[in-house]
Amino acid sequence: MKKLLYSTCILILIAGSLAACSGAGTPVTQPPNATGAPATEAPGAQPATEAAPATGEQVTLTFWHTYNEDSPENKMLVDTVIPMFEAKFPSIKIEPRIEQWPNFMQDLITQISAGVAPDLIRSDIVWVPQLADMGALVALDSAMPDFNELKANMFPGPMSTNLWQGVYYGLPLDTNTKVWIYNPEMYATAGIQDPPASMSDLLSQCEAFKAAYPEDYYFAGVDVTAWSILPWIWSMGGEVLSPDLTTATGYFNGPKTVAAYEQYLQLFQAGCIAPKVLGDGQDTYSGMAGNVYASLDDGPWIYPIVDGQAKGKKLGAALFPAGEAGSIDVVGGEDILLFKQSKHPQEAMEFIRFMLSDEAQLKMAEVGVMPVLSSLAQSDAIKNHPTFPIFMEQLKTSKARPSLPQWGDIDTIMSDAGQKILREEMTAQEALDAAAAEIDAKLNP
Amino acid sequence: MSRKRTEFIVQAAFTVLLLFGALVTLYPFLYMVGTSFKGATYIFKMPPELIPASPTLENFVEAWASSNFGSYFRNSLVVTAISTTMTILLGSMMAYAFARFNFFLKKPLYYLVIFFMMLPAMSLIVPQFILATQFKLVGKLSGVIVLYIAQNIPFATFLLRGFIEQLPREILEASEIDGASHWNVFWSIVLPMCKPALATAAIIASLGAWDEYVWANIVLNTAKVRTLPVAIANFQGVHVTNWGLVFAASLIAVAPIILFFIFLQKFVIKGIATGAVKG
Amino acid sequence: MTIKHRITPYVFLLPGLVFLAIWLVYPMGHSLWISLHDWKINPDEISPFVGLGNYVDTFTDSQFWRALKNTSMFALVTTIGQLILGVLVALMLNRIARGKVFFRVAYFLPVVTSWVVVSLIFRFLFNSDPSGMVNYLLVHGIKVLHSPISWLNNAETAWAAIYSLGIWKGIGFAMVILLAALQTFPEECYAAAAIDGASEWQSLRYITLPLLLPTIILVMVMLTIGAFQVYIPIALITNGGPLHRTEVVLSYMYDLAFHDLHYGSATAVSFVLAAIVFVISQAQLRLKRLSYTESVEGGA
Repeated sequence: MKKLLYSTCILILIAGSLAACSGAGTPVTQPPNATGAPATEAPGAQPATEAAPATGEQVTLTFWHTYNEDSPENKMLVDTVIPMFEAKFPSIKIEPRIEQWPNFMQDLITQISAGVAPDLIRSDIVWVPQLADMGALVALDSAMPDFNELKANMFPGPMSTNLWQGVYYGLPLDTNTKVWIYNPEMYATAGIQDPPASMSDLLSQCEAFKAAYPEDYYFAGVDVTAWSILPWIWSMGGEVLSPDLTTATGYFNGPKTVAAYEQYLQLFQAGCIAPKVLGDGQDTYSGMAGNVYASLDDGPWIYPIVDGQAKGKKLGAALFPAGEAGSIDVVGGEDILLFKQSKHPQEAMEFIRFMLSDEAQLKMAEVGVMPVLSSLAQSDAIKNHPTFPIFMEQLKTSKARPSLPQWGDIDTIMSDAGQKILREEMTAQEALDAAAAEIDAKLNP
Repeated sequence: MSRKRTEFIVQAAFTVLLLFGALVTLYPFLYMVGTSFKGATYIFKMPPELIPASPTLENFVEAWASSNFGSYFRNSLVVTAISTTMTILLGSMMAYAFARFNFFLKKPLYYLVIFFMMLPAMSLIVPQFILATQFKLVGKLSGVIVLYIAQNIPFATFLLRGFIEQLPREILEASEIDGASHWNVFWSIVLPMCKPALATAAIIASLGAWDEYVWANIVLNTAKVRTLPVAIANFQGVHVTNWGLVFAASLIAVAPIILFFIFLQKFVIKGIATGAVKG
Repeated sequence: MTIKHRITPYVFLLPGLVFLAIWLVYPMGHSLWISLHDWKINPDEISPFVGLGNYVDTFTDSQFWRALKNTSMFALVTTIGQLILGVLVALMLNRIARGKVFFRVAYFLPVVTSWVVVSLIFRFLFNSDPSGMVNYLLVHGIKVLHSPISWLNNAETAWAAIYSLGIWKGIGFAMVILLAALQTFPEECYAAAAIDGASEWQSLRYITLPLLLPTIILVMVMLTIGAFQVYIPIALITNGGPLHRTEVVLSYMYDLAFHDLHYGSATAVSFVLAAIVFVISQAQLRLKRLSYTESVEGGA
């Protein structure tokens, strides 16, 4: 016992002295350098970044994205779009890197800590406020002289996902939203003439459906995270946070939000919604392909996926059923971000401009990536696109999720509340009251 | 009952039991093999099938042919071979020191070494990456090799120390009396006696290197130096994944380790030279 | 003792220690330092010193305790399962005359396959939808269930799936190490016992098992240490859900670090976990010391 004690003491001594030595070596105790508070500087006050424009020496930029190896998007990016850019700018080479979505933040944080963040990333929009808050990003609105022109050509929803504390840190790269996707055959067999135009149609359509297909489900939801449940909340006039994003109480547990969850629960209890929302069950894509699910709300990627599983299957699309506040779905998509630790910001900005050019956006549109440029919305390529038009229509009213570093936590709280409601462990009002209190605690620690 | 009869019953009973256990154990694996022979498996058929109705080799072809799978394979081999060899060598040396001698700081050092088996590797990644960046090892195979050696030594030391401790003391002391140096005793007597343990440690250390994903993903950040686990993960998509492809690639990746195991486990059977004490 | 004799152990230790010092000890020191601060990921920002604040936060977080409880249960169940089955398999395998290689490979295959692949396979096997093999076998195959279970929608059934994965994956590991130990037992002891008229069962009970006990404990310690660090199965099968009820310490830590960006707190959690595992394994190893002296005194 004494030996153990003695050994432990020595261990602690060794560890402690090492901690002090190695700790003192890191920048932890150094004062921040001059760029410590970019968020509060007015646009234009930040000096133009120092790095000289491409002088002919080879520059390599790293660009992280989440397209997987054998996807058409990746092939288009690597085989066509990037070579187009490199042909225009022979001294700049782009090195794309595939990152798995679950690991993205971990790898990013590790590299930022070591001072070697990638130059550019195609970022999920919910990461933007976290990265901005960390001080890791270059504020594009002050760094790019042509920022305002670029911004003017963007849809407002996607553009707003780049805003944090009054500063725009990035630009949208691609956007999407979800619409009501349905199986016209199953609808026809059940006697449903048109997709539901409003929420009040849902219950009656569901009943008709159940009469024709007792074993199957009218609607398939993936889960009850924000991405899935917000259309239901927003269309019914509910809300998660106050307009200034400081409080949830009165909003998340407000009467309209409660009504939205209660409506969802009612549909679930009536057997209209598949049990997959509880966590496990048949996935939505195979369900749609296999005529187990009749409708869901999803993005344009669903077409090739369902087609891959059930060749030639016809899917219908319509706007999300309108509640009293209209038909509001969620804005998704990715933004392109530039890191302060990048050694070649000027060249990186050229790449950003290129990715937001008509030609690049149209090329990516060929593989199902919706463009963010409102000028393209009127172009023939988009207007005649087989699947995009309805999404562009929905985008007019879709809302972006609040831009906050705590959004991940809030999403989890929302999902947990939804789960408790569906499992009938709490009533909607109780669950939302508790959740609103939790969210407030996160926002005002 | 005759001895032969009893013997037969024992053999039969054990074999049957083992077979049953093996079947249960192999079942999920068979499921994986079956899936890898199914074409375009974004979904799973209902009702589920173990052996696909129309097996195809397309997943294996695509896995191997797609971008450099051969070089990922080679990188994994290099990394695993070097790190395993060094791990076993250094680990056995440390195990010998801890098992054979008593010395100042022996206990604290030993505790320090095995403490690292208990500290989650996840928590050290950021400091280790900062170090790797400072040493300019990022993007090089050596950046991964040195870390695997360091990470696997504690376990190897722990396992080998346990085995060496149980070796008959007389053998070790006899050779020292004969004037053999410690290194000779270690290399010519102790290590051969530890073959089963060494083989076991080698297999497990090589697993640690072959299957490691997180560190490999962040350090080996270009296709030139990428290893298999990262390559396989990259087949997974954001919305859907072709599981047949992922499993086929995983099977290709698991084959060398199985072969290595089959090769090594011969050493595990070979008994020690029990005659050594008498000689 | 000669000088050479006194420094020899250090010479043997040195190369390994160099690797450990650079790649493990120094980063651990750095990590410890981080755990004492409200650490900002951006190296340009100041991280305020909070002393033991992160540790206090950990101990007062109910989610941590739930994760710890889940992890401990997982460690207990899977370690016992792997040990018992591993010992049985090793003993039987050591005894049979034919098919040794086949069985060894068969039982070792789960160990050799990566955790990621294995977790994915089990997730598909336990799917609640009609494609899930386990439900199919239970309902239509051996017909012990009326209707399929939604395995992953409830914590208890989800744990069943995860426990089976944990046990399944490690039996081969225990088996291999125990087999290696069994090879080293001196033949003379068994020969002598046989001459004295001992039955096989008696040989097993009085020679094999006591000799095997130290290795069993060794394996138990390794399995326990590994089980406390379970992460991938949880991340890939349930992701801590539903409602965080299958959260384990490492998944809790991962979210804290890379989701909530409380990196200092997450590092503190890792040290707390390491300390807990250290204490448990030391307790287990004490058993080994007792068993070893017993077997040496009572053995051949």
